Amino acid sequence: MKSEIILKNVYLDFPLYDAQVVSLRNKITSIGNKYFSKIKKNTSGIKVIEGLKDFSYNFQYGDKVGIIGSNGSGKTTLLKLLAGIYSPTSGCIEKKGELSCMLDLGFGFEHDATGYENILLSNITRGLAKKEIDKILPEIVEFCGLGEFLNMPFRTYSSGMQARLAFASVIATTPDILLIDEFFSTGDREFSQKSRSKILELMNKSSILIFASHSMDLIEDICNKAILIKNGEIAFAGNPKETISFYKKG
Amino acid sequence: MNFFINNSAFKDLIFCIKNYFAWSFLAYFDLKLKYRRTFLGPWWVVLGVAISSSAMCFLWSVIFGMDWKTYLTYLFSGFVIWLWISELVSEASQIFVSYSSKFIKAYPTPPLFYVFRKCFLSLLLFLHHIPLIIVLVLFINHKIELNVLYSLPLGIFLVFLNSIFFTANIGMLSARFRDLAPLISSLIPPLFLLTPVLWKPEMLGNYQSYVYLNPFTYFVGIVRNDLIGLHFDIFIWVGAILITLIQLIAFSILYSRKSKRIIFWI
Repeated sequence: MKSEIILKNVYLDFPLYDAQVVSLRNKITSIGNKYFSKIKKNTSGIKVIEGLKDFSYNFQYGDKVGIIGSNGSGKTTLLKLLAGIYSPTSGCIEKKGELSCMLDLGFGFEHDATGYENILLSNITRGLAKKEIDKILPEIVEFCGLGEFLNMPFRTYSSGMQARLAFASVIATTPDILLIDEFFSTGDREFSQKSRSKILELMNKSSILIFASHSMDLIEDICNKAILIKNGEIAFAGNPKETISFYKKG
Repeated sequence: MNFFINNSAFKDLIFCIKNYFAWSFLAYFDLKLKYRRTFLGPWWVVLGVAISSSAMCFLWSVIFGMDWKTYLTYLFSGFVIWLWISELVSEASQIFVSYSSKFIKAYPTPPLFYVFRKCFLSLLLFLHHIPLIIVLVLFINHKIELNVLYSLPLGIFLVFLNSIFFTANIGMLSARFRDLAPLISSLIPPLFLLTPVLWKPEMLGNYQSYVYLNPFTYFVGIVRNDLIGLHFDIFIWVGAILITLIQLIAFSILYSRKSKRIIFWI
């Protein structure tokens, strides 16, 4: 079965129940700071922000799609929708294939647990079985290069080391569909080169890649398609070069 | 049958049952981390409860004019069950709002998974009290009924099941309606006085039947009564099972309709 994702006229609205709701206030600032036109009222009179509007796209087997757009245009919202974290207000999504998302590094980590325990915790929280984790553990240990530090509590790590472990513990599995939000250049120079080549390898192995980034070079390098999002709508979709030049023109 | 297959509440319920290892491991780990650098670990809770219930026993057995020995087992066992249930009730409103919001926003695991994780953590903490209750019962009653072997696990399982449904239901409602959490926490102290933990239902005399209006009576009863050798009361078991069914129905309606909206509320 070939993996694919089909979006058909997808709308995603964020309801604003009250200004007091802190998380939603954050959402406004992150999504619609500049675009007050996005705030509307839905049928039941609750204010909503339109996160995505009339979004239709087919992600086919072999597609490496770059998502570009300015801050608050809806890139992360789209990735979270594809991941299944959000479900659409209207429209439909069809998904085939196993999906993995790298949207939040350090997911499932606990500060008081040791490095080893955190590898276990984050992978179990992401739904892996103990057996699978045992299989990928050596690779993670080798890749992060933290050695003896893995036996120490996570809170004693420097931020660079924390980032190393967070990165290493998610990259050992290869999913069919890979969603990545922003390229994280983590750690020192040596490690960020290592992580870059690792993530390129992972991107090549996955059958569908959807990748949001501000780095146009990277998008042109890796992707064979690109989508420009503006105010939650597809402003342009085509090959990376065209899309980027369209984006740069404004 | 189609209703069950297409209902997302049952879908997620089956998902959680299949992934029992993940939530039970994570809950165990939460417990381990919570007490990581202490010597007694979760046994501190047992010690704390033992101290406070001894003090309460000293006072209330005099006030009620009861033999302190029989009163001690009654009070201690009732009190630990009450602590378990009341903690579940008061934290249910925070389950999605604070306890698991960072997970829900970052990964597409069903929210119900985190309900299982939280409720299992509470169960694990509660189980630490069981040995002490059994020792107390053996020491004071000199015998323990054999039917405890099945009634105790069954009672604990029913409370656990209810805690799942309750936490999911109240968690969702209080994520949407933020006034619910303070309301619930203000109801817990009076409910303690209204639940037969300090006193026995018989003491109410003519008003004894009113005790069955309080749902906590059933859940404290099914775990406690057989354990400390009180007479078997079928009414309490029937009541507990009925409440479980009502909660299950409420859960299947509420969760299947609104579980996808949780992320927009937190």
